[in-house]
Amino acid sequence: MPLHRLIFAASLIVSQVAFAQDNAAPKKYKAPTAADWTALGKLPDFTGVWEIPLGGARAAAGRGGAPGRAGRGAMPAQPQLTPEYAAKAKETTAARAEDNQSANCLPPGLPAIMGQPYPVELLMTPGQLTIVIEAYTQVRHIYTDGRKFEDPDPSFNGSSTGHWEGDTLVVESVGFEQVPRGINFPYSEKMKITERFRLSDPETLNIETTITDPLALTQPYPLGNRVFKRHRSWTVAEYVCEENNRNFVDASGKAGINLANPTASPK
Amino acid sequence: MNKPMRAVVKGMVAVSLVAGGATVALAHHSAAIFDASQTRVISGTVKKFDYSNPHTWVWLDVTNDQGQTETWGVEGMSPNYLNRRGWSRQTLKPGDKLSVTIRPMKDGQKAGMWISGKRPDGEVLLMNGEIKDKE
Repeated sequence: MPLHRLIFAASLIVSQVAFAQDNAAPKKYKAPTAADWTALGKLPDFTGVWEIPLGGARAAAGRGGAPGRAGRGAMPAQPQLTPEYAAKAKETTAARAEDNQSANCLPPGLPAIMGQPYPVELLMTPGQLTIVIEAYTQVRHIYTDGRKFEDPDPSFNGSSTGHWEGDTLVVESVGFEQVPRGINFPYSEKMKITERFRLSDPETLNIETTITDPLALTQPYPLGNRVFKRHRSWTVAEYVCEENNRNFVDASGKAGINLANPTASPK
Repeated sequence: MNKPMRAVVKGMVAVSLVAGGATVALAHHSAAIFDASQTRVISGTVKKFDYSNPHTWVWLDVTNDQGQTETWGVEGMSPNYLNRRGWSRQTLKPGDKLSVTIRPMKDGQKAGMWISGKRPDGEVLLMNGEIKDKE
């Protein structure tokens, strides 16, 4: 290989390594020590299985009127859109489909994935909070080891980091694919979702969610507080949406159902 | 159970149905095809019970006005949801007689969303997983 090509190839490798370090792994993986585990034991205990009680999800998410208003003073009833995104919102409303891709079993994405009528399991380990979500078999990794995500590849649930402010774990997620995610306005690739995790008592976990978006929103949009109850005897179960999904939505946005071969379905 | 007490219990069932209905719609990952303004009762015999995600399906053989057997499909809550509220894959068996209240399809196909099912002995199985014993 000619020398200039060799140099070019080598520089590519170097730049890719540098990128990987910036964007994903911590600078250097450090195995947790006994002291790290001890420190973990002094934090609020989120580990366990939680579910939003029947009727709670709707109350928490709001009805499109005044999300998060209850007991929290004046908050914007509607997202305050920039002129550019207000224009986009009009187009999207005009072309609204009967249903979204969740009908085809694609996961809804954050924040909708945190408001499902199924349990989530939180696992605290040194440097990380892991959330196992039963609905659509999703997993979120929230890194509390100090790493930063500058420009991650877009994904359903974003890339998440967390830091403690007193008894509250503040989780910030960035890097979102354009999927429905339960957000009723157009959002940009700069959107950030902030979730404040706090125990109001050992059996009650509050997650207060706020959306900021420098391109789409002129001010933060609060989605309200989701209240989860602890279920000490529960486990998270398997949920394979593709197993026997008879609902669908087609490319034009029309919803339908597949009633063929009732006896051929599994189980 | 004395009469006034029974009336109180019935009142509670009615309330929980309303509250449950509002919430459970959220749990159906695609409810656009069902007519939320209509209910219909279909009676027949369970042909098959799919205890599967994302929804259970009860296939019910129903005799129509012409005396022919038609198979209806009724979409219910997921096994994950129902398991935690007292159901199992044995809750409905082929041959079980049922009257099922459904939200019918908007397009008239022989299917619907499970609201409640009633057995000949009076036991009622609600969409939100509650099972009300015969009185």
